[in-house]
Amino acid sequence: MQSLQLIRLLVDRELTLRYKRSVIGIGWTLLNPMLTSLILWWVFSSIFASRLPDGTQFAPYLIAGVLVSAFVSQGITSAAEAVAGNGSILTKVFVRPQIFTISSAMASLVNFAIGMIPFIAVVYVSGQTLAWTFPLVFVVGFFLALFIAGVGLMCSILFIRFDDSRNIIALVLMILTYLTPIFYPISMLSETMQNVVNANPFTSYLNCIRWAASDNSSATLTNWIVVVATGLIMPAIGTLVFKKFWPRTVALF
Amino acid sequence: MAVIEVNNLRLTYRVLMNRSGSLKELFRDAIKGRVRINNFVALDDISFTLEKGEVLAILGRNGAGKSTLLKVLAKVLPPTEGTVKVEGAIAPMIELGAGFHPELTGTENVLFYSTLMGRDIRKTRAKLVEIGEWAEVTDHMEFPLRTFSSGMVARLAFATATSETAEILLVDEILSVGDAGFREKSKNRLLELIDSGAAVVLVSHDMSAVRSLATRAIWLESGKVKMSGNPKEVVSAYEKSFL
Repeated sequence: MQSLQLIRLLVDRELTLRYKRSVIGIGWTLLNPMLTSLILWWVFSSIFASRLPDGTQFAPYLIAGVLVSAFVSQGITSAAEAVAGNGSILTKVFVRPQIFTISSAMASLVNFAIGMIPFIAVVYVSGQTLAWTFPLVFVVGFFLALFIAGVGLMCSILFIRFDDSRNIIALVLMILTYLTPIFYPISMLSETMQNVVNANPFTSYLNCIRWAASDNSSATLTNWIVVVATGLIMPAIGTLVFKKFWPRTVALF
Repeated sequence: MAVIEVNNLRLTYRVLMNRSGSLKELFRDAIKGRVRINNFVALDDISFTLEKGEVLAILGRNGAGKSTLLKVLAKVLPPTEGTVKVEGAIAPMIELGAGFHPELTGTENVLFYSTLMGRDIRKTRAKLVEIGEWAEVTDHMEFPLRTFSSGMVARLAFATATSETAEILLVDEILSVGDAGFREKSKNRLLELIDSGAAVVLVSHDMSAVRSLATRAIWLESGKVKMSGNPKEVVSAYEKSFL
């Protein structure tokens, strides 16, 4: 009960602080992916747009990819930092640290949901319509938030113990970003690379979100299984690892 | 009835030798077989019990393990060996205003801080006015905390932490913040809570506060109990060690 109240407060707090600090406030959440997408569209539309399967529009394809990749990389980093950066609280008051990670992942989900506003605009501008399955985007987003919380828990232990782990995680996240078909169609890769990209769980999340939002990509049954399975298993693994290392790690703050 | 029962508590930190907090270097050292782990003993063989209404003062020089002991009692640090039983609601006042954020308003901070301590947010909402009045910041509650003076922040944090009766209060050096008026006021509030049956563990370098409040004292040195018992005797022995 009190945990739920605390999660609500933490999500509120993270969103308030994020937007209070910046001049244009909540507009930044909308502007940032739009600008990134605009640049990528400008650079890559002539190369990739014609190689997408028939009926797929490049602009919504691209912006969905940008939104999901921002959700993943910013989400994991801030979920890990929610524990690693709050040592002053966690060493003074008894509170389950996992609550901070979950709240951060949920705040990222809210951000992702806000990002759907420009996405919808782009879908209509490019002549497509939303699919009736659109609400499923948030279901997939919820599973992705769980995945992010699980990974964030493990990363938080690394962040506290090793200063350079932030750089290493950032590098790994960048590699994973490029191994997700954000701005390129997966069909143009070699068969080996296609297998690698398909093995990346974020590809499954992205395929499902693109399909659910505007039928702008196909999602296989395997994609859906990966989404549900990793979304449930990752937080469990994260919690196990976290619980094992936390007692010794908390002393390092 | 004992609210705190500590038996043979031992707490060690594992310290990696030539540790620099870098994964890269740990990897390099691991390959060369140079990783050595040392156990640093922060608390060793500590036992005591505390009853309702008692005030236990913990004395000791910097680094003796006083704050570490409080953190174990607050359930923040898990003991390496031994058992620690703490029964009842804890008001951890190890650092006043842990979790206060300068950009958020007084009200928002009070709500967050007390929810963090595991209290019901609806109860806190009902007490907001009372808390603001006690802290003498009623007119400022809707302004960001960064506009508060440090004395106002301390009063607000103290008022929040003590707004609900707790069975156990863990107090670390907080009686030394603020001006004389605040010290007097907060001391009276503590006495009220003790009268209502709370047990207090107090870490302080303020020997006059220890003499007037404590019913028992423990003197820690390098993580071990050097002396314990009557606060007047322990305090005078402790003070003599500085001469």
